[in-house]
Amino acid sequence: MTGGVGGVPAVRAFIRSKRRRPSSWSDRYAMLFGLVLVGATVAQPVSAAIAAAARQADPSRMGAGIVLLALAYLCLLGLARMFGPVALPAADAAWMVLSPLPRRGVLGKSAGILLAVSLTAGLVLGLAAFAVFGAGDQVVWRLAAALLLGVSATAGGMATAVLAQSSQPWDSWLTLTMAAAATVAALAALLEAGPGRQLLTAVAAAPASASAALAGLAAATAALLVRLAWRSLDRIPTRTLLAASTRVGHVATATVSMDPGALTWIAEDNHWRGRALRSRPWPALPAPLALAWQDWRRLARRPRRAAALLATAVLPAVAAQAGGGLAPPVTVLVTVAGGLAVAATAASGARRDGDNPSLARLLGVDRRAALAARAVLPALLVASWLTLALGGLLAAGALTGGPWWLFGPLAAPALAAGALRAARRRPIDHSMPVIDTPGGAIPTGPALWALTGVDLAALGTLPLVVALVFQPGALGGFLVAQAVTGAAVLAGYLIRAAR
Amino acid sequence: MPESIVMVSDVRVTLGGNPVLSGVGLAASKGEIVAVIGANGTGKSTLLRCIAGLQSLDAGRLDVLGGPPDDDAAFWRDVAMVGDEPAWYPGLTVREHLEMMRAVHDSPRLEVPAVLAMFDLAARADATPLNLSTGQRQRLSLAMALLRPSRLLLLDEPERGLDANFRRRLGTILLEYAEAGGTVVMATHDPLLAEDTSARQIVLAA
Repeated sequence: MTGGVGGVPAVRAFIRSKRRRPSSWSDRYAMLFGLVLVGATVAQPVSAAIAAAARQADPSRMGAGIVLLALAYLCLLGLARMFGPVALPAADAAWMVLSPLPRRGVLGKSAGILLAVSLTAGLVLGLAAFAVFGAGDQVVWRLAAALLLGVSATAGGMATAVLAQSSQPWDSWLTLTMAAAATVAALAALLEAGPGRQLLTAVAAAPASASAALAGLAAATAALLVRLAWRSLDRIPTRTLLAASTRVGHVATATVSMDPGALTWIAEDNHWRGRALRSRPWPALPAPLALAWQDWRRLARRPRRAAALLATAVLPAVAAQAGGGLAPPVTVLVTVAGGLAVAATAASGARRDGDNPSLARLLGVDRRAALAARAVLPALLVASWLTLALGGLLAAGALTGGPWWLFGPLAAPALAAGALRAARRRPIDHSMPVIDTPGGAIPTGPALWALTGVDLAALGTLPLVVALVFQPGALGGFLVAQAVTGAAVLAGYLIRAAR
Repeated sequence: MPESIVMVSDVRVTLGGNPVLSGVGLAASKGEIVAVIGANGTGKSTLLRCIAGLQSLDAGRLDVLGGPPDDDAAFWRDVAMVGDEPAWYPGLTVREHLEMMRAVHDSPRLEVPAVLAMFDLAARADATPLNLSTGQRQRLSLAMALLRPSRLLLLDEPERGLDANFRRRLGTILLEYAEAGGTVVMATHDPLLAEDTSARQIVLAA
């Protein structure tokens, strides 16, 4: 079959006819009603955000806001590169890519989805940029320019990512764009802290015509990139497409089967599958530490990841700076959840042993001793991260005076225990009942799965949480309580877990 | 009288309402190789899981190394099992997996370079297990089990994915293990491996 005889639309129509019944009026009504409902839900907060943003920018928050904007853009491009971005469902990848059908037709639907995602992300980014830079005059023009700039940035970035799939030079351009976003974030952080703040103020005070011109230029560039990306769909190598589709397929399967733990395996295996390594001698350590050394070696082999992880410790302070302080619940959330996430990155060995214990059995190391040894690295990492994060919040004025940073090492054992518990949890039990509550139905299986590990972390960091909420003048008692609670939670977990 | 390592008598196991093992018996002494053979679905793997303490019995008696098997570190210090492919640790090479095994055991049977040569893995020593072929990964599993000291080796279809040459070499490796005083109980579909190792054959029928 070729593009001229029926082509991709005919194949898709045939597949649709076999797969499901045609859309009824009821389906269309439900879709329209859903869209109206989403619109009505989003309209109020968006209009409130626009009204709040329609003011002069606050120079003291602008740098932090730009940092967050640049990091969000960096994340978008990073995700696009990680997942393809052009990918197909598994069945399409298996049959339609390896057929004589015109490639652009096969990939057109995926490209359309990417464009829609880019436009949505661009609108959000533009709105956020409008909130950061403010609008002293000509609110409508500045808002339109910000939205156009946001959409152009995301659409252009996504188009570059698509081009990078078929061309090495474009891949270099994508790397350059990501490096530029990281540089903007770093520069904004530097300028915000020093006398360079005036420069940021000057950027915000630029006339609306200059913003419009910049937005126009960005839109033209993005349109050109989108056009080039559309033309490049024919040239994306089959192997690249199949690899991206497999990755997306794994993620989709993990999502549909509600087994998010599988995602960490997939990401980890994908990373190492493509790496060339050189073996290094194993250190002579006692058996449990020799086993746990695997997590240390893995961390040492990804130094950029480790550095990026530690760098995220400044994000709570940046968010506090951008928002003019953080509400106590938000401070609790970013510090405790952030700490738990950091600890979880160093628990891959425990995750493997929990999901498939055959290698652990073959090694024959005492479970409790192995788990205790595996807790050392997450505890050290989270101690460093939390110390930096709390120190940053103190420096940003989000916390009142006192040695807050001491909570870092003292809360670390509890967060390490929470991360190990989360890493070793069993898959979601979908046979558990769904409880109807006034707030909606709660599926207990996924809820319990999500809370496993978080429960221990919350319990073990209770003194820190209480201190963050009430911000007492003297921290001594809370620090002592945290030291005792942290150590007790880790010890209790190790005793119970090894049974 | 040779030391009894495994003693299984009149074991019955039912899985999902289906009888998998019914009245099965098996004995293995020190230095002996026992091959459990039979068609698919006759319960060979289930029997090995019972011996490893990973499957509870409905009836019957089971002694391994002088007592009931228990899934704890003390038991696994004496028993090495190779069944389905293990989950390899991320970010480690083939050599590093073997060195880790060497590091957690005070007196290994073999040194890492010798194991790499014996299992034809020297050329792939710097590869991650994910980048090996199915047969090479099986060789790595066997190498991990045979590098460490053990008194009992449980192998579930050790020939899986191996080429004919290496199957023969595996027979020699297992014979050497048994001559050194180890006991091997393996479920296999390969009559040549059973013959090469002079294994006592236990036939399971559906």
